Amino acid sequence: MSAVTTNGAVLSIRGLERRFGEHEVIRKLDLSLGPGERVALWGPNGSGKTTVLRCIAGTIAPSGGEIRVGPHPAGELEARRLVGASLSQERSFYLRLSGHANLLFFARVRFGDEREAARHVAAVEEEFELGEFAPQRVDRCSSGMIQQLGLGRALLGDPALLLLDEPTKSLDAAARKRLWSALERRPGTAVLMATHLEEDLARCGERVQLPV
Amino acid sequence: MAAVVRRDYHVARSYRLPFVLDLFYGVINLVVFFFISRTFGDTAADLDAAPDYFSFAAVGIALMIVLAAASTGLAARIREEQLTGTLEALVAQPLTTTEVALGLAGFPFLFAIVRAGFYILVAAAFMGLDISETDWIGFASVLLVAGVALSGLGVLFGALVLLVKRGEVLAGMVTTGMGLVSGAFFPVSVLPDWLEPLGAIMPTRFAFDGLRDAIFRGEGWGGDVLALTGFATLSLPLAIFVFHEALRHARRTGSLGQY
Repeated sequence: MSAVTTNGAVLSIRGLERRFGEHEVIRKLDLSLGPGERVALWGPNGSGKTTVLRCIAGTIAPSGGEIRVGPHPAGELEARRLVGASLSQERSFYLRLSGHANLLFFARVRFGDEREAARHVAAVEEEFELGEFAPQRVDRCSSGMIQQLGLGRALLGDPALLLLDEPTKSLDAAARKRLWSALERRPGTAVLMATHLEEDLARCGERVQLPV
Repeated sequence: MAAVVRRDYHVARSYRLPFVLDLFYGVINLVVFFFISRTFGDTAADLDAAPDYFSFAAVGIALMIVLAAASTGLAARIREEQLTGTLEALVAQPLTTTEVALGLAGFPFLFAIVRAGFYILVAAAFMGLDISETDWIGFASVLLVAGVALSGLGVLFGALVLLVKRGEVLAGMVTTGMGLVSGAFFPVSVLPDWLEPLGAIMPTRFAFDGLRDAIFRGEGWGGDVLALTGFATLSLPLAIFVFHEALRHARRTGSLGQY
């Protein structure tokens, strides 16, 4: 499965618009990411950073413009296979299940094969040092723990494009270090990160500012 | 799809007491109808193949559980995913619309089949339900095909929840209404004249007739299974198409993450 378009981009956005009723959240956004590029979307609260990520993940349809993930329109099944997303972590896990069971569920959905799913989960649990709290039920985990689970889930199977919404917001210094190391170990992965934190911005090669 | 069913099983099992109570809820219903039947004794109404009113109602109770799970189970699951916020995370995964719809309907449906079988066995063991003539292949076939046929309705209700959020209330009302007019708890022949034709064309009617035939006569359920299969063949693809469109609408309006 190809992860790039004919012009070599993993992500290609042209003239993206998104309105909610009369309120125009995103206006004519153009953006392109090649393999290994790391771009920060930044801007104040309400500037539409998360909305851009959701449009790419396919959970919100654009009001106008075009988004392609690899050669596929965003939201299509093949496009979703190429994307690993960490969005609104606190409300995206099954709280009655352990972190491990959650990761295993999302891995099964993504890979189908039980062994492969277990292998990918073991890999991210080791990489993010989740061994201690992954067996706990998610409703007993702190925000920082849940955020690390969200990052682990996004990285399952090393997707071609990573969408990270304020990925370091609740992380302590050690967890932040693990995240940056995980990204360094994936030089071919394109990363689009919504953030307004200086440290995150400094780690990205390019910044795209969204107006209010 | 199997991953979603398995996840729902683990979530249901995490609520240990409600999980067990769920299993025993139908037994209470059976006991109520057992004593109603003993209070009023023999009835002159046509009870299809059932030898007495309790036998008639016991089959109705068991099947209503499967029908309710198949038709309202998905609506309830989607509502739960909306409330917990996991719906958006789920539809961002590489799953087809069919996998999402049938995966979410899967566990409530399979659990309901187990419960229905359990209730029939309890009624036979402790309340005198006669299963000596039962054709168990027919019994299993009717339960399975009735559940699949009614799943089409469930997928439609799931689409309704995607659109209006609280659609599961309507789903419950419609399923109960369908059960009442098609012979779940009392024979269709006692309905007012104007309601009888409605009861006769309900897909649930074939399910009740077929299951009673399989249990009490050990034959005559084939036609009902055929009718239910026909209904499933038409309704399920249509319902999945509507669910797909509802999902598209939710993406367009940005309401997947809302509750």
